[in-house]
Amino acid sequence: MYADTQNDITRQVVRVAQLLLAYGAESDLVEEISQRLGQALGLASVEISISSNSLVLTSLVHGRCITTTRRIREHGINMTIICELQRICLLTEKGIYGLNEVRKRVSRIQPKSYPRRYLVPMIGLSCGSFCHLFGGDTMAVLITILAASVGMSVRLAIAKHHFNLLVNFAVTAFITTLVAQMGYHLQLTDTPKLPMAASVLMLVPGFPMINAISDMVKGHLNVGISRWGHATLLTVSSVIGITIAMQLGGLFL
Amino acid sequence: MMELLLKLLNDAAFSAVPAVGFAMVFNVPKRFLPYCALAGALGHSLRTLLLHFGMPIEWCTFAAAALVGVLTIGFAKKHLAPPLMYAVAAIIPMIPGTYAYNTVIALVQLSAQSEVSPELTAEVISNGLKTIFILGALSVGLAMPSLLYFRTRPVI
Repeated sequence: MYADTQNDITRQVVRVAQLLLAYGAESDLVEEISQRLGQALGLASVEISISSNSLVLTSLVHGRCITTTRRIREHGINMTIICELQRICLLTEKGIYGLNEVRKRVSRIQPKSYPRRYLVPMIGLSCGSFCHLFGGDTMAVLITILAASVGMSVRLAIAKHHFNLLVNFAVTAFITTLVAQMGYHLQLTDTPKLPMAASVLMLVPGFPMINAISDMVKGHLNVGISRWGHATLLTVSSVIGITIAMQLGGLFL
Repeated sequence: MMELLLKLLNDAAFSAVPAVGFAMVFNVPKRFLPYCALAGALGHSLRTLLLHFGMPIEWCTFAAAALVGVLTIGFAKKHLAPPLMYAVAAIIPMIPGTYAYNTVIALVQLSAQSEVSPELTAEVISNGLKTIFILGALSVGLAMPSLLYFRTRPVI
């Protein structure tokens, strides 16, 4: 195999690994897919080292190795892209895609997300069902739906302007709690505590937490710890927002 | 008996909604959304059933997460998609959000008062421990199939 071919293949493999990490796959999956893709494209072996914001990949064939490093910037979680990359890997393994086809497919990937007119009411309903499951009455469920929908539209509006995620979470938590306090101030419901607890559940960083623990369980300890730290920071910043809103409303102290 | 059945149906219906909602936040493709809903409903109602028989919540969560893990491996094999895609949306209704919420609210109240009160301290410790153990049960239960069965070969 000629040197430029190995270069080309390595570039495609590291691009796939970079996309996988940036859009929220766990380390085990990144390692597995890039090794399988590299071997399907004709490399002898692919070794990969992942850390929280970069990756180093070495490809080996005919006693020659190429090592490249890529910086990872988080883009938010997008399962559509991960699904597409997994499919590219599987089809290459079956021999349907060659290098050119892989390059074409990978360059064509665009992050698509659901439009906000579906997301906002769905998150409202989700938090409403949480409130119902915790035992809230009808009025509490309605307040939760309102607060969570307002919060979600604020969150999407802030995300559109590329603010820091921590700032986004703090502001969203503040506004959500401000709306959810209605139950206390207007005395509409007998369970005023539940809307406040249920409507901020949309800010729980579930995906980073699950990814963190499953990384640590499967032996990628440093990536797992840094993801855990990220999830903790997000939680803390939403707690800051909640606390400010509660103090403004005079609910404790 | 009838009451239990109704409770489980109620549970299944109201946990399928958040599973779909959060799957949409994670941008799961549209054709896989019903499977997220199914896995979420089955997992959460299994947890409620076990809680009904008086098991501790950590063990119930572990069993439910293991069920979700096995189910999603089946889905993944059928659609050639990573199992985590269904699984994370499906266990969102079981994430200990209220325990975490109560822990940090009690912590903030502790720091707002200038002295340590035993009630608030007790609340911080018990809710915090519940949060951590339930989260651990969730993700280890979810990883159960790949820890026990798919040790040396990939899932798909």
